[in-house]
Amino acid sequence: MSIKTKTETILVVMNVLAWITFIGLMIEAGAILVTYGIGLANPKMITKLYKGMDWDNLRQYDVWYYTGIISLKAAILILEAYTAYMVIKVLSTIKMTNPFTMQVAKKLENIAYTLMLVWIAVLIYNGQLKWLSKDVADLEGKILSIDLIIYAGLVFVISQIFKKGVEIQTENELTV
Amino acid sequence: MPIIVNLDVMMAKRKMSLNELSEKVDLTLSNLSILKTGKAKAVRFSTLEAICKVLNCQPGDILEYVE
Repeated sequence: MSIKTKTETILVVMNVLAWITFIGLMIEAGAILVTYGIGLANPKMITKLYKGMDWDNLRQYDVWYYTGIISLKAAILILEAYTAYMVIKVLSTIKMTNPFTMQVAKKLENIAYTLMLVWIAVLIYNGQLKWLSKDVADLEGKILSIDLIIYAGLVFVISQIFKKGVEIQTENELTV
Repeated sequence: MPIIVNLDVMMAKRKMSLNELSEKVDLTLSNLSILKTGKAKAVRFSTLEAICKVLNCQPGDILEYVE
């Protein structure tokens, strides 16, 4: 298999994985919001919340804190889904005959910024959870945040290198 | 653009076609055409040297600055 077809195959596989990730995250966000709604109407159902998370103690402590935490969790999932969607857009926009375009560079930069937003949201979420766990027992669900900022930084560096590549390409175009 | 390329003038003086010049300076026809029509953004010294050598002229005969 030539390098060209291998790269194209990898991109197709990545596109499929990105779609699976996007759909999975949207389903997870939807599931959390639906179970939250059901939990409000029928508090006994909270113990059977999505992925077995039991936030009945938090709901009993304060409904607004409970709403806030669920909203943050849903927002994080939606932002992650949006990141996956942007990856899908990059993979569908990129043309192997001319991959270095400012459009793709901008999209990569936006992915880095979104990952950074996710990281901030996760920090707030973890902070809230830690603060509430002082008063509410058995509060779990902390999300690992350190890898997110590393990914955001990595994607940002790649986007800047890509941008430089586009600038050099533009400069060399129409040079005889 | 302030820099004007007078390549067609020199080619006419030397009675040389674009194809012939392209072969002699080892530049593709499309690149030479880009230069001749003034669409080029930059010219390498090596290209300028090759053209001047073939057309037996100075860089100033090919490139002209107008305000």
